[in-house]
Amino acid sequence: MFQKILIANRGEIAVRIIRACREMGILSVAVYSEADREALHTQLADEAICIGKAPVSESYLNMERILSAAIATKSQAIHPGFGFLSENEHFADMCQSCGIAFIGPSGDIIGKMGNKSQARLTMMEAGVPVVPGTKEPVYEWKQGLEIAEDVGYPVMIKASSGGGGKGMRIARDAGEFENHFRLAQQESLHAFGDDTMYIEKYIEEPRHIEIQVLADKYGKVLWLGERDCSIQRRHQKMLEESPSAAITGELRQRMGQTAVLAAKAAHYENAGTIEFLLDKNKNFYFMEMNTRIQVEHPVTEMVTGIDLVKEQIRIAAGEHLQMNQEDIVLKGHAIECRINAEDPEKNFMPCPGTVKDLHFPGGNGVRIESALYNGYRIPAFYDSMVAKVIVHGENREDAVRKMRSALGEVVVDGITTNLDFQYDILNHPVFLSGNTNTHFISDYFESQESGEINAEI
Amino acid sequence: MLKFKKTSSALLTGKEPEVPKGLWIKCDACGELLYKEDVKQNHYVCYKCGKYFRITTKKRLRMVMDKGSYEKWEEGMECKDPLGYPEYQEKTKALQEKLGIDEAVTCGKGTIHGEPAVVCVCDGRFLMGSMGYIVGEKITRAVERATREKLPVIIFTCSGGARMQEGMVSLMQMAKTSAALKRHSNAGLLYISVLTDPTTGGVTASFAMLGDIILAEPGALVGFAGPRVIEQTIRQKLPEGFQRAEFLLEHGLIDNVVEREDLKETLAKLIAMHNQVEPKEALIPNRRKNSARLEERKSKEQVSAWERVQRARDKDRPGALEYIQEIFTDFTELHGDRHFADDGAIAGGIGYLDGCPVTVIGQQKGKTTKENITRNFGMPSPEGYRKALRLMKQAQKFHRPIICFVDTPGAFCGMEAEERGQGEAIARNLFEMSDLTVPVLSIVIGEGGSGGALALAVGNEVWMMENATYTILSPEGFASIMWKDASKAPEAAEQMGVTAQELKELGLIEKIIPEAQPANPKNLAKIAGIMQEEIRRFLHKYLPLDGQQLAQQRYERFRNM
Repeated sequence: MFQKILIANRGEIAVRIIRACREMGILSVAVYSEADREALHTQLADEAICIGKAPVSESYLNMERILSAAIATKSQAIHPGFGFLSENEHFADMCQSCGIAFIGPSGDIIGKMGNKSQARLTMMEAGVPVVPGTKEPVYEWKQGLEIAEDVGYPVMIKASSGGGGKGMRIARDAGEFENHFRLAQQESLHAFGDDTMYIEKYIEEPRHIEIQVLADKYGKVLWLGERDCSIQRRHQKMLEESPSAAITGELRQRMGQTAVLAAKAAHYENAGTIEFLLDKNKNFYFMEMNTRIQVEHPVTEMVTGIDLVKEQIRIAAGEHLQMNQEDIVLKGHAIECRINAEDPEKNFMPCPGTVKDLHFPGGNGVRIESALYNGYRIPAFYDSMVAKVIVHGENREDAVRKMRSALGEVVVDGITTNLDFQYDILNHPVFLSGNTNTHFISDYFESQESGEINAEI
Repeated sequence: MLKFKKTSSALLTGKEPEVPKGLWIKCDACGELLYKEDVKQNHYVCYKCGKYFRITTKKRLRMVMDKGSYEKWEEGMECKDPLGYPEYQEKTKALQEKLGIDEAVTCGKGTIHGEPAVVCVCDGRFLMGSMGYIVGEKITRAVERATREKLPVIIFTCSGGARMQEGMVSLMQMAKTSAALKRHSNAGLLYISVLTDPTTGGVTASFAMLGDIILAEPGALVGFAGPRVIEQTIRQKLPEGFQRAEFLLEHGLIDNVVEREDLKETLAKLIAMHNQVEPKEALIPNRRKNSARLEERKSKEQVSAWERVQRARDKDRPGALEYIQEIFTDFTELHGDRHFADDGAIAGGIGYLDGCPVTVIGQQKGKTTKENITRNFGMPSPEGYRKALRLMKQAQKFHRPIICFVDTPGAFCGMEAEERGQGEAIARNLFEMSDLTVPVLSIVIGEGGSGGALALAVGNEVWMMENATYTILSPEGFASIMWKDASKAPEAAEQMGVTAQELKELGLIEKIIPEAQPANPKNLAKIAGIMQEEIRRFLHKYLPLDGQQLAQQRYERFRNM
């Protein structure tokens, strides 16, 4: 086992990893930028090294400085957390060449899964379902029609250069395909000067379901249930839960086994996440694999009782996974709300500032992951997520009630947060019904229809 | 500060991490640690601060030459030790073994993107790349052989200067290499020198600065006296950037600064531009268009002379560089007069018309205030005229026709211009242009302001755009001299005979190029299209003439005025 680990990150995840180290009796080394001198992770770690100026390119993304810090402190491993260098294959390779264990998969695997088209190909070969369609460019509507017939309606006609909804059309049957194809192509040509199109299956009312996996160096792969991350705004997840309200036992088994298949196909090692899209008919399709610990990992920890960060460290140290698949039993229901220093009234603009008065809830089944403390000045250079509130209840209803109570107790004076917005989600009848999809926020909160919602479970 | 209990410290027993040797390097400019593999990918340029690292001969050749094409010449010459300098021979032997190179220069032949060339590379690790007998001899033999085999020469310079250990024998290498290059030049062959960090002393004062084209790597230190010597002599601290490649460019001493990444491409392109072509066949004018078409296109509108003056000065009017980009392909700009500065008011370089290399020179105004500061409102200084002349002489050496675009309110009237001999510079151009042995065409595209315009207009033919003017003096100046009233400029314009039509009637110009109205970026392609076809006709007519005929024709053209 390692005796000293350097944490190449900041904020709550750095604190989370330092805590795991402390519990395991491993010395922790924090790295910090000049803007993070007062940060909690800087103070909590056994050692802390300044690695440069506030901008991330000169600190948390500066591979050479971080490696120098690791070598100077004789750290045996580096935990990259999420974001920053966590999915940088080059950095993983550099660590390896210096004899430092990178807590995550090898650079090779990071590279393979990071390349979208290669990952898709690997998954198709392994028999993992991917969103049907083509990565071949299409220029003629007749050629497009053939592909559409192949993948089945509805299909999404997408401009290669597209963006902001321009050059995008949904065709629901063969009759309207030609018309939509021509329109989308023309739009793309006008907007981007490019008439290259793609055809893929349109996933209706998609849910974002991801499966957590753990894999050791010896080919053993376990899956640890799912997380439903459908509550997201512009692809930014806001609230995650496990288990998903949309998944039954049999589907969960199938998705879990598919995730294991996917991880094995990638020769995966360490903790990873397979992201799927689940359509309204309960078909699921591989989207991508995240080769790192994720923000929402605590919900899986709550329902499985497994400490994912500790498992990551053990795997990187070359230990065998001690548990077996049958040992993994999902218990109860967990929800996580991300608390961001941002103003929902002003288009979620980040609002850093100084925390004047802080109170976090506690109690049975309530967990806080945060790097805030009284008097802490949040620097403007980094991500606006400042805390995660996680609750664990007997069932979804219990968990929702617990989360409402917990959020109601949070006090973060001095900065604007999205707390009230999260509270509104927890009270929304559609959320309560469990019948959500990735369009939930844009459908109910950004179309001015939300109005007053006062539902009770 | 928050007081936390720390983890009880355990003794570290595991294997300590360490940096394998050679995996990392430290940038001596920014002090950052760099991953060597990334530095290599980045052509040995620091990816943090952009500092150019000095590179070995082997890496340089690998970077520039086509794979497997390079053949080394004249290796293993006997070391001369004229002064019997203590331990000199032992030292050079040890360096040969350690560095795996023969001497401070490696010479040979190879191809660059398929273009054959003699390439010499100096290596600063070998006694500072200093030039002793062997360096001088190897370069001289390589240049002589290039002359025999009619090949271009490229030398990558990197040297502290003459080799002290060899005394005066070393100094003579400067004259020997220069003499060999003179013969190579006299044979009409191309020499490109590429200055790398550092190039100083006797190498700068010989083969480094003799290139037909001189390129430099960004940030390279190049000078005769080293910065420390200068500081000690004048007892002053030298300013930041002094003697660096960018400083040399600004001071007109080199043609361009080229990024390492683009070096191979640039060299191949320049060699190709100097390859002998048979241009006479390349330039076939469109026969269907007869010469009457210019008359047909001429607009029927009645325009006053003053209105033409206004049009010629319009800021939307296309400038020389716009026409150059439109008419020629692959235009490569070359800079500097090699003496004092690079004048922004005159731009020049080489481009292709129908595959035929052409030297193009133009006076250039700015469109914005900022541009006008660099372009000095299109008013050339003496160094501008000297740059133009340098490029024309080069065109003559390589048998390239010359096209000049004239567009200036006049030569710059300023103190500095006088100090450096504005009058002499203009006179010199008239003098030298008169007997150039290549076709010269000048086109007045906007304002043809007096002597400042004439200095680019001693052509075999001179043309004007329909709305260009060519004047002895600005109409404002004329009015104030003749009538003591500058506001009478419109009347002056009528009186002076400044329009293309009047000048053609006087027989001072040959051709008027019609302009789609108004002459602005929107109509540029149309106007340039007509101009291009006319240039093609001009070249078709003049390229078959020999040098003497061309000079004679030009002589008589002005003799009869």
